[in-house]
Amino acid sequence: MFKKILIANRGEIAVRVIKACQELGIASVAVYSEVDRASLHVQMADEAVCIGPPPAVESYLNMGRIIQTAHDRGAEAVHPGYGFLAENPDFARLCEKEKVVFIGPNSRALELVGDKIRARRAMEKAGIPIIPGMKSVPKGLGEFDDEARKIGYPVMIKASAGGGGKGMRIVFSEDELRPSLEAGMREAKAAFGDESVYLEKYIEEPRHVEFQVLADNYGHIVQLFERECSIQRRHQKIVEETPSQALDAQLRQRMGDIAKKVLDVSGYNNAGTVEFLLDKNKNYYFLEVNARLQVEHPVTELATGVDLVHQQIRIASGEKLSLKQEEIKQRGHAIECRIYAEDPGNNFLPSSGRILYLKEPKGPGVRHDCGVYSGSEVPIYYDPILAKLIVWAETRESACQRMKSALDDYVILGISSTVGFLKDVISHPRFREGATTTGFIKNYFDQWKGKEPGEESLKLTLAAAAFDDYRRSQALEPASSSRERQTISPWQFLGKWRIGGKA
Amino acid sequence: MEYEYLVNQALHKIALEKKGDRFVLHYRESSFEADIKIVSANVYSLIIEGRSYLIYIAREKEKKYISLDGQSCIIQKPGQEGKHFDRGEDRADKGKSIVKAPMPGKVIKINVSEKEAVRKNQTLAIVEAMKMENEIKSPVEGQVKKIFVSAGDLVDSEKPLLELEPT
Repeated sequence: MFKKILIANRGEIAVRVIKACQELGIASVAVYSEVDRASLHVQMADEAVCIGPPPAVESYLNMGRIIQTAHDRGAEAVHPGYGFLAENPDFARLCEKEKVVFIGPNSRALELVGDKIRARRAMEKAGIPIIPGMKSVPKGLGEFDDEARKIGYPVMIKASAGGGGKGMRIVFSEDELRPSLEAGMREAKAAFGDESVYLEKYIEEPRHVEFQVLADNYGHIVQLFERECSIQRRHQKIVEETPSQALDAQLRQRMGDIAKKVLDVSGYNNAGTVEFLLDKNKNYYFLEVNARLQVEHPVTELATGVDLVHQQIRIASGEKLSLKQEEIKQRGHAIECRIYAEDPGNNFLPSSGRILYLKEPKGPGVRHDCGVYSGSEVPIYYDPILAKLIVWAETRESACQRMKSALDDYVILGISSTVGFLKDVISHPRFREGATTTGFIKNYFDQWKGKEPGEESLKLTLAAAAFDDYRRSQALEPASSSRERQTISPWQFLGKWRIGGKA
Repeated sequence: MEYEYLVNQALHKIALEKKGDRFVLHYRESSFEADIKIVSANVYSLIIEGRSYLIYIAREKEKKYISLDGQSCIIQKPGQEGKHFDRGEDRADKGKSIVKAPMPGKVIKINVSEKEAVRKNQTLAIVEAMKMENEIKSPVEGQVKKIFVSAGDLVDSEKPLLELEPT
């Protein structure tokens, strides 16, 4: 087993990996950009090293700097999290060359599955169903016109190196093709440093169903069942759950077997996810392999009891997979909601700034994977994910209720977040019925606005505001009962202290 | 003591008076008594007629962010902020329209040039934040009068990007 691991990421996923390291008795090295000095992952790690200025290309994407830091601090392995360098074969290759273990698939497999077009060709050859589309990267824009006509509109533009919805566009007619291509290529270039895009048939009313797979370095492969991730905005998931309402035991078995075959065909090792689109007639099409730990991995962890990050680290250190397929069971129902710093009432515009106050929900069956805290700054430079709220319960219905109640308990002040929006999604009758397709948000939440406070809550809000101004003018201190005095509270040390004014 | 607050640009008045260890609040035509405890600098517990409420509050300059029963809103004191709001609705700048950055980010592209005629909803510029491109569309039909930024600039929220003259 490793003694020290460098985590080449930030935010909630870096925190998640650092926790796994702590549990396994492995020292952790955090890296951070200049704006992230105060972030949670830096506070939690055993060691922390600044690797450059805020733009990701100069810090979290700076491969040379990261490898050098691993050498300097004596880290034997690098965990890339998701995003940034997680699916970059050049980085995996550099790690291999520099004798630092990359906690992820080998560079050849990464290269194959990362090249969506090559991957599709390989899967098609192995008899795995794929969506009709381009089989090579076009050389000129003219080729796109011809191909789009051949596939038939609507078509989808996708980034070759892509993921996370970046660079992705749906095109409904010929006159939209050029501007969408240009925007898609720019976005792909900015996100992945590679502007190549391709087209495929856009399947209407699909569900997004993916399978979690683990493969060790010796060819043992197990699948840990599906996650349904159909609730998306801007082609980016915001709610995920397992099991999917659309699968029965037979279909689950069939798709799970195919997922294992996909990894086998790719010569893949470590954790991976095989994504499928499932149409309304239960036809499934292989989409792509996400060659990393997924954002939504916790729902699988809660429903199977397997710690995927532990597994990733164990596999990377050369251990054989101890899990046996027949021993892996799904139990109960798990749902994840992604808490983003964005304004759902205003086209999901990102919202950066200071989190003035954060109260994390707690309770039985509630997990909160979080990268921020009261007082932390959300910079403009990175993906706006703040945290993930995950619940588990015996049935889907109770999981929904538990999620609703946890979201009600979630307080985040100072920046816009998706909390209120997610509450409405979870409460929506179509969601409760399990009628989830990738068009869900567009169909039911297109012009969504947050609720205005009602008469009663307005009255209470004003009362609290008035009291707040009154007490601040009187310099009233928080109550400290005799019971509270026995516990350690910052109020005992801070004395007369106020936010936003002189004490 | 009387307090005034703006909620969604509407002005509200509420009066508070201390009565023993409780507070009496007067709002519109009604009055109610509240037992208020300070749990922490950001958390107040209120009991009103036997009903218990937990209220979360954070402050930033003239703004208060208040959350109650899982719903939050921003309220502010009338005054500087409020007046600024009024002025923004081009009273002083009649006949002009300033297009502002909706969020902090980086200008990727300016799609128009000065003196160019633009349609309503035409894309004027592209601002990227947190790796997503956001198209800035024209709120009016008119002509581009002045462009204040260029591609590559980092902009703050509310920063003027360009000025339009509606036709």
